[in-house]
Amino acid sequence: MNLEFTQEELDFQKSIRAWMRENVPEELERVSALGNMPTKSQQQQWERSLGKQGWLALTWPEQYGGPGWTATQRYIFDIERAMAGAPPTSPFGVAMVGPVIYTFGSPEQKERWLPGITSGETLWCQGYSEPNAGSDLASLKTRAERKQDHYLVNGQKIWTTQAHWADMMFCLVRTDPEAKKQQGISFLLIDMKTPGIEIRPIYSIDGHHHLNEVYFTDVEVPLENLVGQEGMGWTIAKFLLTHERTTIAGVADSYYALARMKQAIEDVPYYTDKPSARRRMAELEVELMALEYTNFRTVAATDEGKPFGPESSGLKIKGTELQQKMSQAMVEMGGLMSLAWDSPSVVGNESFNNAPRRYNFLRACTIYGGSNEIQKNVLAKMLLGL
Amino acid sequence: MEFNLSENTTMVADTARRYLKDHYGFVTYNEQLNQASHCDPARWQLMMELGWLGLPFPESIGGYGGELIDVAMIVRELGAALCLDPYVDLVVAPGKMLEYIGTERAIVVLQSIVENDEKVACALYDCHAGYSVHKPTASIRDGKLSGQKSFVPDGGCANRVIATARIGDELALLLVPLESCEITRYRALDGSRYADLVFHDIEIDDGMILSRGAETSRVISQVIAWLQALDCARMYGAANALYQRTLEYAKTRKQFGAAIGSFQVIQHYLVDMFTDLQQLESMLFMVAVKAELGNAQERDRACSAAKAYYAEKAVKIAQQAIQIHGGIGVTEELDIGHYFRLMTHCSLTHGHRDFHIDRLASLREVNGCA
Repeated sequence: MNLEFTQEELDFQKSIRAWMRENVPEELERVSALGNMPTKSQQQQWERSLGKQGWLALTWPEQYGGPGWTATQRYIFDIERAMAGAPPTSPFGVAMVGPVIYTFGSPEQKERWLPGITSGETLWCQGYSEPNAGSDLASLKTRAERKQDHYLVNGQKIWTTQAHWADMMFCLVRTDPEAKKQQGISFLLIDMKTPGIEIRPIYSIDGHHHLNEVYFTDVEVPLENLVGQEGMGWTIAKFLLTHERTTIAGVADSYYALARMKQAIEDVPYYTDKPSARRRMAELEVELMALEYTNFRTVAATDEGKPFGPESSGLKIKGTELQQKMSQAMVEMGGLMSLAWDSPSVVGNESFNNAPRRYNFLRACTIYGGSNEIQKNVLAKMLLGL
Repeated sequence: MEFNLSENTTMVADTARRYLKDHYGFVTYNEQLNQASHCDPARWQLMMELGWLGLPFPESIGGYGGELIDVAMIVRELGAALCLDPYVDLVVAPGKMLEYIGTERAIVVLQSIVENDEKVACALYDCHAGYSVHKPTASIRDGKLSGQKSFVPDGGCANRVIATARIGDELALLLVPLESCEITRYRALDGSRYADLVFHDIEIDDGMILSRGAETSRVISQVIAWLQALDCARMYGAANALYQRTLEYAKTRKQFGAAIGSFQVIQHYLVDMFTDLQQLESMLFMVAVKAELGNAQERDRACSAAKAYYAEKAVKIAQQAIQIHGGIGVTEELDIGHYFRLMTHCSLTHGHRDFHIDRLASLREVNGCA
């Protein structure tokens, strides 16, 4: 057992920290420090600057543009990125569709789509959920009918994060309505500028626009935009769920949130109840440490080329629960300051004024990407044999 | 012991529910959310006709002699309807303050509230004092008031505020016209209208000082106890509405070929919500009686216990309502998320959970079964 980074890893950490200090825009740092979300241009500008370094597609094989880092290096990078006040990169291109394309895609598809992802130029969104296919994703109905030289897509997607930012969508569609539930589904890449696509915003309870409904009316998608074979969609979707677990717990961003919480408490000179706030933060830190060390085991196993052990299975559940707990603690510590929803000027402390937005937004993190109830069903079946 | 609501209280509750069903819905709420003033003259008139403006005050001064439990039943229904009409902030809070001050001058102002002649808000908090209402930073020196107040729930429509301030070592309650203050208005977490006030050396004449000295602190504590009980009432109404809606949703929403309510995990969630709701109701009855007591220790113990319990359990119900609804629960389109914000809001007014747990711990005499 060895819980320390090697000298090489410490040197790596030093160099990443120095780069972050030079390259995270002050404006972005401020956005993060106040618990806000970056705008599209802030986010894309940041991702482009990582792309230039070759630091965007961290988990990818080098031949497709990955930096060739170990899982430990990726973990260190994530911590340094978060603590420097930079947002996590959008997962849709780098963490989701990219690995699908280099694993299942044709040589032409790889050549066409991967460079835009590693450079941060092409923004992607995920077309999975539908009004009647949420937790029961396999009951999706959006239809792609094979014609002479294209698929004709009709249907509706919902909860599509950043559809209004995206150039492209990767989409689960039903190509064979006769086949059994999971078997008639295919994985299609759709250009968001194609005629027949309509995007309607959904405002969430943090007061912002992240989510959308996307409607497809006779949308023509070239046949070459099918990834893998027809009917392989469900297999690909499952592949995505098991891919890369070393940052899924959100440890880095939770450490940043904890640091912000400490800062906010210390910044309010008249904060009446520092001892109990500090106690509460210490309790959160304990939970975060348990998550961190579980995460370390997954990281170490990855570097030894071992399959993920059972310790990695709870990372998403524990990680999202902790994010919610921390954001709630922030709101509660803010007390009355958390009530100033849209004040034009700071009321006491701006981080506390913003805290409820993040708290509200994070109610979704135990719902999206497979609700925690569904995650537990999967674990009960696969891991416990129930 | 007996836990039945009186015939009169039941009638107040039923009338409130009917009135809100006829005059206030989610559409009304959404319109109101975007309005600068939350005092709708037509509804205010109806509330007056229903007797709500006089209900919390004794008959001797022109009220209808209702008890806290009667007002709590109204506020419970306001919470259930997501209603933003600032009934508590512009009638109950300033009215009880004036009633407890009890001077001739205070009663005149109270009567103008009851008769719907003017709107008065309470300015008890500032962002430098947390929940310590007895230690405001605003003060009067050489006859001039300076300092600031935050989180003033004036509904965007009060013309005067009852504000706390220090005169030397003494605590005082002042009646200050809003037009003499620098005002910043904003929306609060629950959607209501708040104001922050700055006093730039406002000239204070004796007529503006409603109360000063030891008595003032007692008055404020009595009023805060009422408001804490009413926070619980509002949260109870919202929690019950969330439970009902979520139960209905679990029966109708189908996934995997079945209503999600047929899944055991959802059933357990709903049973937890239901049993917590029963205990929340018990705490509401308890606090609605005890928050009116003359015995300060017993009163404060009851209020802190109730608010601490609500800040945990009612908030948990709101979180579970979202989780069971899934994506639709986090949108502005559905009322669920709005109830959720209301719940967070009320868990932070007049003391959050830590504040109340600390206060309970410091109230030494434990008043158990003995």
